[in-house]
Amino acid sequence: MKVDRRSFLSLLIGGAAGTALSPLPWKLTDDLSIWTQNWPWTPVPQRGESYYETTTCTLCPGGCGVKVRKIDERCVKIEGADEHPVNKGGVCILGLSGLQLLYGPTRIKTPLKRVGEKGEGKWRSISWQEALDELASRLKQVRSKGTPEKAACLLDGIDGTVGRLFQRLMTVYGSPNLFCMPAAEDASKAALKLAGGSAVRAGFDLEEADFVLSFGCGLLDGWGSPVRVFKANSSWKDGHTTVVQVEPRLSNTAAKADHWLAVKPGSEAELALAMANVIIGRNLYDSEFISNYCDNFEGLKRLVALHTPETAAAATGLGPETIVKWAVEFARASRPVALYGRGQGRASAGSLRDCMAIMLLNALVGGFNRSGGMWIVPEYDYIAWQEPELDEVARAGLERPRADGSGGGKDGLTLSLVQRLLGTDAEQLPEVLMVARCNPVYSLAGSGGVEDNFRKIPFVVSFSSFMDETAAMADLVLPEHLYLETLEDVPVSAGLNFPLIGLCRPVTEPQFNTMALGEIVIRLAGIMGGTVAGAFQWDDYETCLKETLENKWETLEEQGFWYDSGFRPPAWDQAFGDAGGKFRLAGGKIDEILEAEEITPAGDPAQFPLVLVPYDSIRLANGYIGDPPFMIKSVWDDVLEGKDVCIQINPATARKYAVAEGKVVHLVTPVGKARVKVHLDEAVMPGIVCIPRGLGHTAYDAYLAGKGINVNALIGSMEEAASGFDAAWGIRAKLA
Amino acid sequence: MDSALIPEGVKRCPTWKFLLALAIAGAVLLWGVVAMLMVWFKGLNQTNMNDYYGFALWIWADLAFIALGGGAFFTGLLRYIFGIKELKNIINYAVLIGFICYSSALLILAIDIGQPLRGWFIFWHANVHSMLTEVAFCLSCYFAVLCIEYLPLVLENRQLDRVPFFHNLSHNMHETMAVFAATGAFLSFFHQGSLGGVSGVLFGRPFSFRTGINVWPWTFFLFTWSAAAYGPCFTLSITWLTEKISGKKLVKDNVVELLAKIAGWMIITYVVAKIIDTVYWATVTAPSLGFKWTFFYSNNPLYGKWILLTEIVICGIIPGLLLISGPTRRNPTTRIIALLLGVLGVSINRWVMVLQVMAVPVMSFDKWVLYYPSWQEVATTLLPVAYGVIMILISYRYLPIFPQEAELNPVDSVSASDGVELEDGQQDEKEAQTDGQAVPAEA
Amino acid sequence: MKQEQTKHRPKRYGMVIDLDKCTGCGSCMVACMAENNVPFKKDESDKLLSITWMRVYKITNGKSFPDSDICYIPRPCQHCAGQHEGHSPCVSVCPATATDYSRETGIVSQIYTRCFGCRYCMAACPYHARYFNWWDPVWPDGMEKYLNPDVSPRMRGVVEKCSFCFHRYQAAKDKAYLEGRRVVEEDEYQTACTQACPAGAIVFGDLNNPDHLVHKLVKPDLKNGGRPRNPEVFRLLERLGTNPKVYYKSSRQWVRKAGDNYLPGEKPGAVIQKSHS
Repeated sequence: MKVDRRSFLSLLIGGAAGTALSPLPWKLTDDLSIWTQNWPWTPVPQRGESYYETTTCTLCPGGCGVKVRKIDERCVKIEGADEHPVNKGGVCILGLSGLQLLYGPTRIKTPLKRVGEKGEGKWRSISWQEALDELASRLKQVRSKGTPEKAACLLDGIDGTVGRLFQRLMTVYGSPNLFCMPAAEDASKAALKLAGGSAVRAGFDLEEADFVLSFGCGLLDGWGSPVRVFKANSSWKDGHTTVVQVEPRLSNTAAKADHWLAVKPGSEAELALAMANVIIGRNLYDSEFISNYCDNFEGLKRLVALHTPETAAAATGLGPETIVKWAVEFARASRPVALYGRGQGRASAGSLRDCMAIMLLNALVGGFNRSGGMWIVPEYDYIAWQEPELDEVARAGLERPRADGSGGGKDGLTLSLVQRLLGTDAEQLPEVLMVARCNPVYSLAGSGGVEDNFRKIPFVVSFSSFMDETAAMADLVLPEHLYLETLEDVPVSAGLNFPLIGLCRPVTEPQFNTMALGEIVIRLAGIMGGTVAGAFQWDDYETCLKETLENKWETLEEQGFWYDSGFRPPAWDQAFGDAGGKFRLAGGKIDEILEAEEITPAGDPAQFPLVLVPYDSIRLANGYIGDPPFMIKSVWDDVLEGKDVCIQINPATARKYAVAEGKVVHLVTPVGKARVKVHLDEAVMPGIVCIPRGLGHTAYDAYLAGKGINVNALIGSMEEAASGFDAAWGIRAKLA
Repeated sequence: MDSALIPEGVKRCPTWKFLLALAIAGAVLLWGVVAMLMVWFKGLNQTNMNDYYGFALWIWADLAFIALGGGAFFTGLLRYIFGIKELKNIINYAVLIGFICYSSALLILAIDIGQPLRGWFIFWHANVHSMLTEVAFCLSCYFAVLCIEYLPLVLENRQLDRVPFFHNLSHNMHETMAVFAATGAFLSFFHQGSLGGVSGVLFGRPFSFRTGINVWPWTFFLFTWSAAAYGPCFTLSITWLTEKISGKKLVKDNVVELLAKIAGWMIITYVVAKIIDTVYWATVTAPSLGFKWTFFYSNNPLYGKWILLTEIVICGIIPGLLLISGPTRRNPTTRIIALLLGVLGVSINRWVMVLQVMAVPVMSFDKWVLYYPSWQEVATTLLPVAYGVIMILISYRYLPIFPQEAELNPVDSVSASDGVELEDGQQDEKEAQTDGQAVPAEA
Repeated sequence: MKQEQTKHRPKRYGMVIDLDKCTGCGSCMVACMAENNVPFKKDESDKLLSITWMRVYKITNGKSFPDSDICYIPRPCQHCAGQHEGHSPCVSVCPATATDYSRETGIVSQIYTRCFGCRYCMAACPYHARYFNWWDPVWPDGMEKYLNPDVSPRMRGVVEKCSFCFHRYQAAKDKAYLEGRRVVEEDEYQTACTQACPAGAIVFGDLNNPDHLVHKLVKPDLKNGGRPRNPEVFRLLERLGTNPKVYYKSSRQWVRKAGDNYLPGEKPGAVIQKSHS
């Protein structure tokens, strides 16, 4: 017993000592730490050859040139292209996040056919052949009934070849119902059209301006071509440009402006007209321009006479002397420019009245086609295809009225009265709707109603690369390539004061079973047969693109963009061809528009004492593209808290309605209700509730979906009677 | 059942009671172990710590345990170096408590670091300028010393002591204990101090930053001093608690009063130093960095001036005075109040020097950030407490921790008074008493 | 060794951020995340748990509507030199030498494989520039394709922070070496945030080099802890003596004042920093 215990203990102690003295524990300790340094579940990026490929970013209309850093076949980083005339090496937060879209989990990997209920999210993967056949047979069905106008198409724009291919398809098919998503540029094009310009758009010589009067434009929140405007803003800081920002909330733009004029929302036109009144009244206008190159100055005088600083003071909340002061400063500046387009200018067209009034300010100071002013830039005309041959059905169909009741592109002012297509009663809805590069279910005002209508449309086709809200409501999804996988022309407008066509080219092989959108159209037309097929004689989209851009192709391939570096706008005597060489200041439709009342937001002020005003943030992509994980990560913690979005209200408003910081309340408007958190902020005008656009997605992935609310579901459309534009900028609201 | 292991001449509670107590403490321990494993396997996301609170409950517990365990080195110093003989009657328990506190602190550190398997890098890639390096080295070394100090006590277990080798080893170790006590005191001076230095050197944190001598900020010395002052309070408090639970007097009043008196004077001198430090910090250091001292105690829901008042006056001056004044020191009630206030005081100090440091905004546009621990953090902090209880239960039951216990609680009178449940073990004890080994060995 | 040093003047890479130009757009943040393989989680709204080497702070002037004003302050790691070169708040406290101050470049590095996650450096940094990997980094399936091989993704349990894109410096140095040059030109080494900033608000370069724009903007008083001589330029928490290498420029006095702490009645610029080494 005694011996046993002793030997046992000896063995134990000896063993322990021996093990401790052996290399084993030390080796083990070392190995364990080496293991922690190489955990197999922490990825190790593969090394390889590093090089750059350039392309054009199409995530917003800005048209920036980007270079993609690659390691062998992997894209690892997006940077700004240094030599590009738009962004000169800069790149925005969305552009930087592009690879998360390319490799992200929300990509649609193959054509899909709905199998469950609409919006249920049950799909069957199908082949491209099957998908195209299905779409073609649906389209043929509608056409065979002699109602080709019952097929509609909704795009982001028709400037480039892809948009034009769709337009051509609709034409030979026989439907006048091609719609584009609204944007502030539609209003400025319409305003120019009324003033006498044809096939022109507005560009701004921002860099050279010495006084910028911005009517709510989110110059630093994504307006125009965002990186270009950022750079212009920096040059304004280096020089001595005065920037005056007019809006009810201290946005990034207002914070960086030299002066912030906090006006009541919706009163911009009143302010602009009163400023015009002051400028005319004090003879501060550019008399050379007004007397020699403008028409109907007397009419304008008559119009603005009603809008004195005093009347505007009541509407805007500014003092009359402030209005006079800034009108005088604006007119006395040597290169002033007044800018239009609320926020990023992409949520709606806004009201033509605002746009017109602001454009008149530019006219009064002779700011057209002048250094630092508003330039009238011709629309792109490089796509010169032969007129397609139409059959009987097509000719008949094209004669029928558009779903929006307007003349559309031909006689009307715009193609973008989408609210009349999708916010309407069931009988007027199309039977087949093709949606490309936009997300109307999410981004149209009154989006709840839009979604209901999508359920009623018998056949919806989405060409989205992502499972966005619209794709989720589709019957058929034909996923197109992402911009980094495709070859395409990108004509840039976005307020640029020169023509520029960027080339979007594949920097990587397609990640999934997707197809270039242009190619989809051409193949679809081929399957349709007849005159439809006959209008698309190209072998494939690439051929079409190269043929179309014939003389510019070499330049495009070489430098990634084509632009007219020596572009100067025509002199005043050449600028307004249609009106007999003159710019129309008043009369006819212009009077009708300007004499209209201010558009007031829906809702009874007694019941809804507050006004909800959405705002745009550069950190929240709010168009067709949803916020990628990097961007949503950058969203402020006073904007998004967990799943809750914070509304910004002035502390005075909070006191009045007895709500405190961080409190969860319901934001109620005449069209909807949502759970929000209260954030008190002196940056907001009392009586206003501010909320960002870009949140509240139901589709996409877990990094984006379910965060905050979609403000578009809380506001309804506000149609401007004279123009038909949806001017929705807000709605009346209350907290409950 | 386990009577063979129980020291001679003392009575222990029935086994079932002991096992029940073990089971209760064991349940808490188990809860802590579950939390610990969750933290180890899932990572520190199991805590409520964040990038503003890199240091939180655990570091506080660490600092507090080490301060409270300071009774070991200080009592050792008094006993072996200054030769205060009476303290031999409490030194065993002081060592045990110290051992528990320090082993707990080390365990918590092993849980607290993000890469426990690389923890040894602190030795391998040591940065000698870091207070934490100093802490790690001194703490580990001192823990080794504590093991050496605790070992002879373990070897005095009746069964182990029968092995001649252990008996001799134990005896010889007792002989050399003065050397270890000195080493321990030296090491403790540095690691207690460097723990104070941990926050004191943070020149980016004006709330904790202190000037000082050479590389040592004033908090270095304050921490050592406060551990020496408040450590014995904890030893005495636990002794008092043990007496209450066992229902026996274990240490004679003169011993308790002596240590309490020393602690009292230590507290008073510490508090004076602390006040001078605070005043200098509030009027010179902080203002030179742009801060009015009241800034650190306003505009937040928790940290008000009350905490400073509580730490210095209620848990500093008051217990100090109660312990240095004869009547209140001798009165068991006021004495234990003073001791408990002392324990609270040093815990508050350590809390403030860890958590308030993290809470205070430094950049003018930053915000106060408060924090509350997750259950995993609480469980892992209670784990050492449960472990300590178990260690004390076992050690008290099987080891001759309190040399005066047998004398103060003659077994005869005890068995006569309750007169029941005379187990085999107690029979054995009676026999053993006759062997003349009733008085536990003490070198 | 001494000869080496005199021949190659040590660099002090630093940054000047023009707060008048900074629009708070966040490009710097995302450029940094993309360049440095910074992970992301499903919920990043808790900024105390959100790894952003470059974080943009929003500050206000505290006034009521409509006199309220906002300024954005991008905050990378400040690459503090401390009172004596290398005595950064974080470097001096790291027990395992996992973060180090380079005397060649002035850059504060972080060695992820050596860091064992004690977070003492985070407690030391008053700028909150240091972030802990509370979770394993997870990229959704397929997204790991965009990871940059020049920067290793960090494992759970270690601290990470801005490195002034040190890998870009190494690449530039290698390139210069291969081309037989000893000098890395100003434009050859730029951080990802500097390069991306659409407003051109960030300028990066060698503060020791009078030809570099950062030097011209700051006019650093090198004998006096690199304090700016340009009155519009300031550093965050100058008074703590951290001696950072990130400078800020603002024409607005309230912004410059927000960069540091002042007692009631004190005026920025009039306060002399006390040394406390």
